[in-house]
Amino acid sequence: MKEMRQEFADTLIEVGKVDNNLVVLVGDISHFRLLPFSAACPGRYYNVGICEPTIVNMAAGLSMLGFYPVVHTIAPFIVERSYEQIKLDFCYQKLGVNIITVGSAFDYSTLGCTHHCYTDFALLKPLPDTQIFFPASPMELNILFKQTYNNKMVSYFRVPKCSHDYIFKPNQLVAGKGIKIKDGKDVTIIVTGPHLKTALNAAEYLQKEGCDIEVLYMHTIKPFDAELVINSLHKTKKALVIEEHSCYGGIGDEVIRVAGCISGVKYSFISISGDFIRDYGSYEDLCETLGFTVNGIICKVKGMVN
Amino acid sequence: MNKIINSELRKKIVDMVYKAGEGHIPSAFSIIDIIAYLYDKVIKFDSKNPAWDKRDYFILSKGHGCAALYVVLEKYGYIKQRDLDSKSKKGAILGGHPDRTKVPGIEASTGSLGHGIVTAMGIALGLKIRNKKNKVIVIVGDGECNEGTIWETALVAANLKLGNLCCVVDNNGSSDQVLPVSCLSKKWESFGWETHEINGHNLKDFKVFNKINFDFNSKPKVVIANTTKGKGVSFMETHGPWHYKVPNKDELVLIYKELDV
Repeated sequence: MKEMRQEFADTLIEVGKVDNNLVVLVGDISHFRLLPFSAACPGRYYNVGICEPTIVNMAAGLSMLGFYPVVHTIAPFIVERSYEQIKLDFCYQKLGVNIITVGSAFDYSTLGCTHHCYTDFALLKPLPDTQIFFPASPMELNILFKQTYNNKMVSYFRVPKCSHDYIFKPNQLVAGKGIKIKDGKDVTIIVTGPHLKTALNAAEYLQKEGCDIEVLYMHTIKPFDAELVINSLHKTKKALVIEEHSCYGGIGDEVIRVAGCISGVKYSFISISGDFIRDYGSYEDLCETLGFTVNGIICKVKGMVN
Repeated sequence: MNKIINSELRKKIVDMVYKAGEGHIPSAFSIIDIIAYLYDKVIKFDSKNPAWDKRDYFILSKGHGCAALYVVLEKYGYIKQRDLDSKSKKGAILGGHPDRTKVPGIEASTGSLGHGIVTAMGIALGLKIRNKKNKVIVIVGDGECNEGTIWETALVAANLKLGNLCCVVDNNGSSDQVLPVSCLSKKWESFGWETHEINGHNLKDFKVFNKINFDFNSKPKVVIANTTKGKGVSFMETHGPWHYKVPNKDELVLIYKELDV
């Protein structure tokens, strides 16, 4: 499967060739991958410099003139460092922008806290007119971007390094709509990001043990597909939420909020605790430490059904 | 005493702040002469069609000086006297900082320092991409020049050769109270900007704005305007309690008396 970052570059060319209003600003990240965009769309690509709040803020000026700006660098430098720019220069002033980041959660596993970002959903959800996507396969990124890039909202795309490798039918992918990947009656797994693959592997194992798992995949964090979750939890009354995000303010909180009308639901979560990730190692090493594994999921499900 | 220009606009500012019960009079007085001149002699606009695509763009990055911009917008018909009279009241369109979502003629909502100039740079870049000749003029304060994004913008705009962008620094000495930004002209020049320095209350000096070449692919322009905070009312001038103080009735009489000279 194509690398996610390559799909990002290819999607921008595909859209930029047909829409002269697409302008791309980057903070010295993905520069070489975007040189073909620069050649295909002359005058609409800028490697601005290492000054993220300024890059974000200047995109607001472009938006005022009717451009559809794309701002790109590593997630924490936009979402956390430039938060006031997102809040004031776009959300308050009702201007649109596409924020596309790499460095999802702890993807830069060896670089430590400075390059991690697992508060992004929590920070961006409360701001008006934001949309939050976590496309974990190339097709999702391509389709969701094309559906939303010109809708004049603040659209945040958290692009992970790893894909879940699941192949969707193109008409399955609709911004704002979750996808039921597998029917089941005992436990609902609600998952976002690359761990769809981990969840499906765990579900297959649990099925053999007689536990029927329903798997819901959420590529869109905001707006959250409440209906899909509510319908499933009416049936199973058990929710396991899996997200590479802080336990505060992610989709775990959304599930509790939307399922509040259903009595007797049990909840369990695999997310990032309230502490920083201080360890190093590979991405897979950190997944192991944090419980984003087939075994981690099996243990959580058994804890709910037993 | 030096002759005060724009004494009528200054009175309107004081009247508005008095009625509102809040406002930054001295910060508005240091820029009112420049803003009045820009709208009179430099900026192309159509107050009947604020979104006119051939208009020049003016952004007040030091948003707390908004009273000066409001009275000029009223002078040219963007807003009404009743808007000035209701500033900062429930349901008003005018508040303590400019708001583009409510006020015709306001290009950017500002107030958090170090944002408006960056927005202006984005507009200048967009105009350059579209090969459009509109000018972009932004006013920042010398206190605002403590903000890092001012100097990020200074680097980026010079690197992108945004000659259609002109930044006016209202050098009213605010930064000297806390974190001085010395040698402003030399600083901006060293960042690659075409630098001009004027007396920000002297009409003759304002002709520099008519001489500036706003062509693309030249250096961005900066005009260091040496100003006096509170200019025009002796007891409000320079730095002190009047920064965010509202005059009482007795003080109002004294202010009008000085402005009538």
